[in-house]
Amino acid sequence: VSQSLFEKVWAAHVVEELPGGNALVFVDRVVAHEITTPQGALEIERHYGDKLFDSDRIVAINDHVSPAKDMETAIQAKVLRDWAKRHGIALHDIGQNGICHVVVPERGYVEPGMTLACGDSHTCTLGAFGAFALGIGSTAQAGAMLAGCLVLQRPKVMRVTIEGRLGHDATAKDLALYVIATLGFKGGTGYVLEYRGSTIEALSMDERMTLCNMAIEAGATTAMCPPDETTISYLRGRERQPGGDAFETKAERWRALKADADAVYDRELYVDVDGLCPMVSWGTNPGESVALDATVPHDADPASLEYMELAPGQALRSLPLDQAFIGSCTNSRLSDLRAAADVLRGRTVTIPTIVTPGSQAVKRAAEREGLHDVFQDAGALWTHSSCGPCLGMSMGVLAPGARCISSTNRNFPGRMGTGGRVHLASPAVVAASAVLGRIASPNDLHAVSAMTETAVPA
Amino acid sequence: MSFGGRVLPLDRANVDTDQIIPAHNLTGIESKGLGKHLFTGMTGGPELLARYEGANVIVTRENFGCGSSREHAAWSLADRGFTTVIAPSFARIFHENAYNNGIAPIVVAASDIDVLLSAEAISIDLETERLHVERTRESESEGHPEVHRHDYTFQLDPLRKRFLLSGGYLAFLNAKIPDVRAWQSARGAA
Repeated sequence: VSQSLFEKVWAAHVVEELPGGNALVFVDRVVAHEITTPQGALEIERHYGDKLFDSDRIVAINDHVSPAKDMETAIQAKVLRDWAKRHGIALHDIGQNGICHVVVPERGYVEPGMTLACGDSHTCTLGAFGAFALGIGSTAQAGAMLAGCLVLQRPKVMRVTIEGRLGHDATAKDLALYVIATLGFKGGTGYVLEYRGSTIEALSMDERMTLCNMAIEAGATTAMCPPDETTISYLRGRERQPGGDAFETKAERWRALKADADAVYDRELYVDVDGLCPMVSWGTNPGESVALDATVPHDADPASLEYMELAPGQALRSLPLDQAFIGSCTNSRLSDLRAAADVLRGRTVTIPTIVTPGSQAVKRAAEREGLHDVFQDAGALWTHSSCGPCLGMSMGVLAPGARCISSTNRNFPGRMGTGGRVHLASPAVVAASAVLGRIASPNDLHAVSAMTETAVPA
Repeated sequence: MSFGGRVLPLDRANVDTDQIIPAHNLTGIESKGLGKHLFTGMTGGPELLARYEGANVIVTRENFGCGSSREHAAWSLADRGFTTVIAPSFARIFHENAYNNGIAPIVVAASDIDVLLSAEAISIDLETERLHVERTRESESEGHPEVHRHDYTFQLDPLRKRFLLSGGYLAFLNAKIPDVRAWQSARGAA
């Protein structure tokens, strides 16, 4: 029987079919962070004798507010830390940590064909590796830690074929926003998005992660990219992967892990992204995004417009901003920082701008290239790694009414701070906007400097 | 366990988890006591809760609970006494979390939501999977009150309904451990 990529991974992990279309699905890797793990860990401690199915399958990462900002978050981190140490669970803590969806791949904890779950909706990021990786609640995570399994409704599969070459200045983030705007904010609900096509094949792993990261913003269970040589090259030599022949044997298996040519899908979506322009969100969910050159749609949801203080037909370019943020599990990897630095090099930001690397390893790599100097010379704040203001928890939360351009994944009301307004965009667009203090594409900066140069008297 | 009751009409779509409970309220380690934060991230949320105090059924529009995986959304609803959310659709993770926390996530047709939003109370029978609503309306011709009765059927996930009624997700999985180990050995041997 022909199978999709998803079906192959699913079938290899079903322990038992359960009533109502559910299945008991084995979980190869559980990622545990300090916001959603303590409750389940305490439940297991109190009612199930503190036993874990297999502590070697778990990786614990203090990431959301690290270092802690107050006593409560310090307790969360301590509970995770103590629990990990007590069970011999691999732990990434202050100084060696970062956002879990950045740390997990860079250390090689994820690989093609694997099932991976975490109490965090952006776990779909890791589907970029051809893993079935999904976000779950704390109780489900506790179940995976206790019994090594999840109870899941078998999702439907949507094949999403992406063809075409992105336009100048467009990135994987713009691709992600375009797919969500095409599919709709809940258009992927109940589905795994199985990506394919020449555009996907040409993406780096960082870019595939950015794309898959936002699958949840279309409601999808997760997304998956077929593993290929890009995937294998990324994983070769990573800390948690074996070396030498052992790795090459695994790589051979991964090369064979692909959808059958005649696999049948529940839905097909074809997206032509040839010449795609930079995108920006105008509303209060990521589906409410348009080309940066475009205007707010005339059929826009009035509630979104009211919250964002925008009007139908209003241009997004040149909208004045109060803050810029580059970071989050969507866009904080080294390539994202390079893209932002390329825009900021030799320029100065005119609004408060925060740059937060995705992990401490990314931070060090960026500093080896001198990117920290570029950001700080431009007048931006260069921080340690954390989830930070993306979800309004720390390190740059917005004031009510403040408008922020952000390389993150959610523009929900209050997401980055009660009453704060968020426009989602790529790191390059955020950087360009930070320079001009209003929504702008990198190309607008060239126009500005050209004008300045002509204005200089000879 | 009772699942029907007074209605809080939440006449909006895409109520995301940040509106249900903002992230700055996720700094605890326990699942209890989060009701005080419910809907504090929503414009008019606290006022709505005050106006419909004692309500235990939420009727809302599509894609309820979208966004974050935070089970705090279900915990905060449960802590405020909500046992049912009725909507045309739910986000997947919230849908799972609801079942694991004594909240029935009931899906009805989008075309039925208007009637349910205007109901004061809804009776719910989880066994037979039926909703019943009585609305008192002034009769247009006669000018005296008329009682309109509406019945709806719905379908719950048969397995998760057990978790809903007995809170048994972890107990269910705990009982599966020997099977999982056996499966794992068989897989290793293959």
